[in-house]
Amino acid sequence: MAAIELAQLEKTYPGGVRAVDGLSLTIADGEFFALLGPSGCGKTTLLRTIAGLEDATGGTLSIGERDVTRLAPGQRDVAMVFQDYALFPHMTVLDNIAYPLRIKRIARPARHERARQTGDGLELAELMARRPAELSGGQQQRVALARAVVAHPSAFLFDEPLSNLDARLRLSARTFLKRLQRELGVTTIFVTHDQAEALAMADRIAVMEAGRIRQVGTPREVFGRPANTFVANFIGSTPMNLLPATVTDHRLVLAAGSLPAPDHLADGTRVTVGIRPEYLDFSATAVPDALTGTVGIVEHLGTSSLVTLETEGGPVGVVVPEDDEPAAGAPGWAVPRPGRVLLYDTESGDLIPD
Amino acid sequence: MRRILGDAVVRHVLSRLLLYLFAGLVLVFFALPLLWLVLTPFARTPSFRIPAPSFTLHNFRILLDNPFALRSIGNSLILAGGTALLAVVFAGTAAYALSRVRLPGRDALLYAILLLSSIVTGTAAMVPIFLMLFQLHLIDNRLALILVLTGGLLPSAMFILKDFMDTVPKSYEESARVFGASPLQILRHVVAPVVRPGLATIAVWAVVQVWGNFLLPYILLQQQTKQPAAVIMYTFYDEGGQPNFALISTFSLLYSVPVVAAYLLVNRRYGFRFQGGIKG
Amino acid sequence: MAGLGVGRAVLFVVPALALIAAFLVFPALWTLYLGVLKYDVTGSNAAAPEFVGLHNYTDALADPQFANSVLLTLAFVGLSAVIGQNGLGFLLAATLRRAAGWVRTLVNATVLLSWILPGTVVVFLWQALLDRNGGTLNALLGTPGAAWTLDHPLATIVVFNVWRGTAFSMLLYSAALDAVPTSHLETARLYGSGPLRTFRDVVLPHIRGHILTNTLLITLWTFNDFTPYMLTGGGPDHRSETLPVYVYRTSIEGGQLGFGSAISLIMLVINLVIALFYLRLLRRRGG
Repeated sequence: MAAIELAQLEKTYPGGVRAVDGLSLTIADGEFFALLGPSGCGKTTLLRTIAGLEDATGGTLSIGERDVTRLAPGQRDVAMVFQDYALFPHMTVLDNIAYPLRIKRIARPARHERARQTGDGLELAELMARRPAELSGGQQQRVALARAVVAHPSAFLFDEPLSNLDARLRLSARTFLKRLQRELGVTTIFVTHDQAEALAMADRIAVMEAGRIRQVGTPREVFGRPANTFVANFIGSTPMNLLPATVTDHRLVLAAGSLPAPDHLADGTRVTVGIRPEYLDFSATAVPDALTGTVGIVEHLGTSSLVTLETEGGPVGVVVPEDDEPAAGAPGWAVPRPGRVLLYDTESGDLIPD
Repeated sequence: MRRILGDAVVRHVLSRLLLYLFAGLVLVFFALPLLWLVLTPFARTPSFRIPAPSFTLHNFRILLDNPFALRSIGNSLILAGGTALLAVVFAGTAAYALSRVRLPGRDALLYAILLLSSIVTGTAAMVPIFLMLFQLHLIDNRLALILVLTGGLLPSAMFILKDFMDTVPKSYEESARVFGASPLQILRHVVAPVVRPGLATIAVWAVVQVWGNFLLPYILLQQQTKQPAAVIMYTFYDEGGQPNFALISTFSLLYSVPVVAAYLLVNRRYGFRFQGGIKG
Repeated sequence: MAGLGVGRAVLFVVPALALIAAFLVFPALWTLYLGVLKYDVTGSNAAAPEFVGLHNYTDALADPQFANSVLLTLAFVGLSAVIGQNGLGFLLAATLRRAAGWVRTLVNATVLLSWILPGTVVVFLWQALLDRNGGTLNALLGTPGAAWTLDHPLATIVVFNVWRGTAFSMLLYSAALDAVPTSHLETARLYGSGPLRTFRDVVLPHIRGHILTNTLLITLWTFNDFTPYMLTGGGPDHRSETLPVYVYRTSIEGGQLGFGSAISLIMLVINLVIALFYLRLLRRRGG
């Protein structure tokens, strides 16, 4: 159990590629922390650097107040679960789980006993004599977790823990993992490219792009107030609407309509307006302070539908309840909910504070 | 007939006939020499000719009584086993290193040594190899012969084993590493058990290659007591006097069985996977 | 990284590379040096071989036995490998596909057996078959006393080599024919294409690369084949003395090591050319 602290951590490859570009981050003891980002953003490299499988080329890393930057992986007191679980195919489940204890030179009877106990906790009692090839995906994951837990490390590192599971299993595995981490209370960092997964499981999320952290925050913060357009684009199952606007007469003038502008913005300022489809309300009749256009495609999402409104300024997505689907070709107005309109600087993409 | 059965049917029947005729001829061509091997060891009066089927085990008694025969089988086992062991160990460790560490020029090196092993055959290199061992006073030395044989097999073995090792996910070793295992422990606990099938295949392949090798033992060994089965057979029917048919037939059978068994074993386990190009 | 480290990796590779250097690289390079010496096992040159420049090579070119060897080897390789094994292997692969299961298994097993059995064994099997007085062939053909190996040595080694090596070509062509997509064959049939035309337009393009690589491979192997020595001894009267046998006679038996090295170098160069062709073909085909 320990806090993890990165200070200006850097990993540059011989060709000059900066996979991890001077990151500073503090992860609290017992936190369930997500590294989220598109492929190539450096999240897996960062995880591997924390594990010690990659050598940091700059900065420091401490786990539980111990500087581990130069320590070998086996000495950092962390456990890592790989995307493919890396269960040793020639060992039984019992031997797999007991393996970390074997390296620690614990005698066979003792380590088998501890492995059994850990296995019991994860409902693996009946599978102890099997080989990994005879297990289902979910069972394999639990064995991998048991193996990580058995030596009581200070931190867990999970690399895409759910991506090897069937889509069906993935959702129940999410709940299972979150409950397990809460019970164990061990600091956990997991890597994922799936924003829904990160939002559902993590206590806090670091959104990464090209080796840098673009935002750190709770799921609510990252979803509700993305710090820049990159995060705004990345988070959310439906993409946020980002539309250019100019401040004119204290109003935000967009091609699709006009909205009230905050007082502190000068006339003539160019901004990007961000508003999630889920925070727009649809109206079939004209209303003020709305974006307007013609209803184009309607996509059925289950209990709601995504309406694409074709406006003068391009397509705008609006989420409507399933019973209120408008007809294609009809005119429509989209009203933003109060406090949900975000303004971004057109050049830097950063959020303009209120 | 044509009116009754139609053109296509006649053509079909004819082609079928031709096919089976051809298959029959081919079968006779290939089987004829083989029949001698199958029937003569058990024949009452073994000779050059394929015998009328009869059954006796008397010829095997003659085989057992011959001092050189069984000893040469033993020599073949020593040579084959020794070469297989060295090939597996050296090629295995080399393949592991080449698979995991990006040594400069690695791929070019592998292709180069593979090319080399195709070019420097026993036949093309018999003179320098003979002379080299001769000058080192290593003629008639079984260990030296084993080293020579191993050297010839290593390139293909390394190539195949490296391919094999590449398919073992690195996550196994990295997982063990994060748990604190040393490189040696990783090799013993994780890598070796997983690549065991590949190592076994190379071992069997090496045994088969050495088992039938005539030229190198022929020129590099002298004493009859050290000669492997391949060479002893040759001396059984040299000029002058009738060949000892009882001995030759039974010995041939005994000498052939392990190789056939090895092929059956590999075929059963892996199917006759055709590694297009690499002799095996 | 698996923590192996470059240092340890090099250590792991060294033993294998050492053996390869000693028994593959060094002998090949040494022939360059030995080939320009007059080096005999006995006699005045044994202790102090003298440098004779290209004399070994000119001697070889002038030696009628050498020319004889080269021609015989060309004939041996061309007839038994390029035409014989290739052709028979392909025919077998093509026709057996349409035969009943048990026929295919039987023929396959027999052909494979001819390839698997140790060399010295099959050589004796053929000597038994061809023996002039007691052999089965003469008994079957009703030609007692016909001395096949004495009267037709080249034909003997050619037929033997076809028998011995067809299995490989058969397996290769079988795999190659299997790889021709059935959809292509069916399309051709739908267009009314007959068997010969289908072969020419659909099958041949797919296996053309395989034909080339197979031919090169079996050429390389047959060129280096030492079995004629065991079967006919190179005789009678040098009439089946292919290059490998010639090298053995002059250098190991005859003791002319410098001369033998020169011929060996020629063989190595020919091997190199064939192997390079093969590699380039493989590379072009995408491995």
